[in-house]
Amino acid sequence: MSPSGIGSAPFSTKITARDVNVFYGAKQALFDVNLDILKQQVTALIGPSGCGKSTFIRCVNRMNDVVPSCRVEGKITLDGEDVYREEIDPVQLRARVGMVFQKPNPFPKSIYENVAYGPRIHGLADSRGELDEIVTSSLSRAGLLAEVKDRLGDAGTSLSGGQQQRLCIARAIAVSPEVILMDEPCSALDPIATARIEALIGELRSSYTIVIVTHSMQQAARVSQRTAFFHLGRVVEVGETAQIFTDPHEPRTRDYITGRFG
Amino acid sequence: MRVVDPALLELRKQLLRMGSLAEAILEKALTAVWKHDRAAAREVQTDDLEIDRLDVAIDEAVLRVLATQAPVADDLRGVIAAKMIATDLERVGDLARNIAKGALRLAEHPEVAIPARLRTLADEVQRVLHRALDSFADGDAERAAEVLEEDDQVDADQDVVIRAAIQEIMSHPELTSQGVDFILIAKNLERVADHATNVAEDVILATQARNVKHAAKLRE
Repeated sequence: MSPSGIGSAPFSTKITARDVNVFYGAKQALFDVNLDILKQQVTALIGPSGCGKSTFIRCVNRMNDVVPSCRVEGKITLDGEDVYREEIDPVQLRARVGMVFQKPNPFPKSIYENVAYGPRIHGLADSRGELDEIVTSSLSRAGLLAEVKDRLGDAGTSLSGGQQQRLCIARAIAVSPEVILMDEPCSALDPIATARIEALIGELRSSYTIVIVTHSMQQAARVSQRTAFFHLGRVVEVGETAQIFTDPHEPRTRDYITGRFG
Repeated sequence: MRVVDPALLELRKQLLRMGSLAEAILEKALTAVWKHDRAAAREVQTDDLEIDRLDVAIDEAVLRVLATQAPVADDLRGVIAAKMIATDLERVGDLARNIAKGALRLAEHPEVAIPARLRTLADEVQRVLHRALDSFADGDAERAAEVLEEDDQVDADQDVVIRAAIQEIMSHPELTSQGVDFILIAKNLERVADHATNVAEDVILATQARNVKHAAKLRE
């Protein structure tokens, strides 16, 4: 690992963060974060509450733009392109960089409309047939189609928690993103629904770059290839997941993952 | 204290107990050889049962801690090392039993002088085992690394004992049975040192996350 915490691996880089500092008003949330997110890999961000993991991923698709007091310094690139450049349309950016949240948040619409919404506003379908195709394939890729194909008109909120979360993943996939950011996507789910989402993450990896924030060490170990440990707004260590969980190089990483913290 | 700590401490306690039993059983088996002490040789057979019991208990404890605590980092390496060390110490118990069987056979024949080099080999092996167990008790990777260095000397000493015994058999065929037992005892001692070396390797894995097993062979 390089001292800057960037890390290195043979996979090509999808997202780079260089000297990223984030402030909420006077309070600094991230300090000189340098991190590479590799293509077609699952990168897990771990660390205690308030360490800046969520702040970091919300910078990648500029979700923090909607927080008035938030200021982002430094550079974050997607395929080499600065996502904070003036010409970048955050709405387009968020189509390329989708997000799944802690609590499933389907729109108060039908299952079909939840998935069709994005492609429709981004003009991705020229006909109803094309839209149907996108909805069906997205639900299928999210592993939900078999369970809902006969009731696409039912409310998204009528589904179970795990199904709702897969619906949100289908909704993110529907606009053909390149990156999927997941902020504790299983924290509200039971072990079976969690296992389904984890299996899904494994399947989606070949098509998307995935960043997952999780408080479950075992989940990070199971689903990711690379893990970054955040602490007090800094990246303490980043490396291959197997290395982080068998031989963390930084004492703070070891103390956190083994529960010796504090 | 973390939730996982009592389980790890218990595992360590069991291993330390197993280590001291392994040392004691080896000492008793060798005493049986040196002193033609049949009673001691027979005790070794029953003493080994306690080591076997601990081996089973450690297996169960390791499974339990892996299933319930999902240890990572140094905790995980410590648990894996504990399992491997237990296996090696259990083998030391078996080897001591073999040596004790040799003592029983030797006691059936007229007493012959114990080859001085066999005693030297035994001292060396007991020292190696003791140092390996010390390195475990103290989590001392440096001392563990020293143990690894000593294995070549044990191998060389074993060869000397075996060659001398063969020589003795050739010049005194009537002492063949005793000569063969000295060879077997030397072989068993050398295997004890191998297991002590494994213990030292596991200490290095647990403390420094370095796998040094077969290092020389794999470098070739």
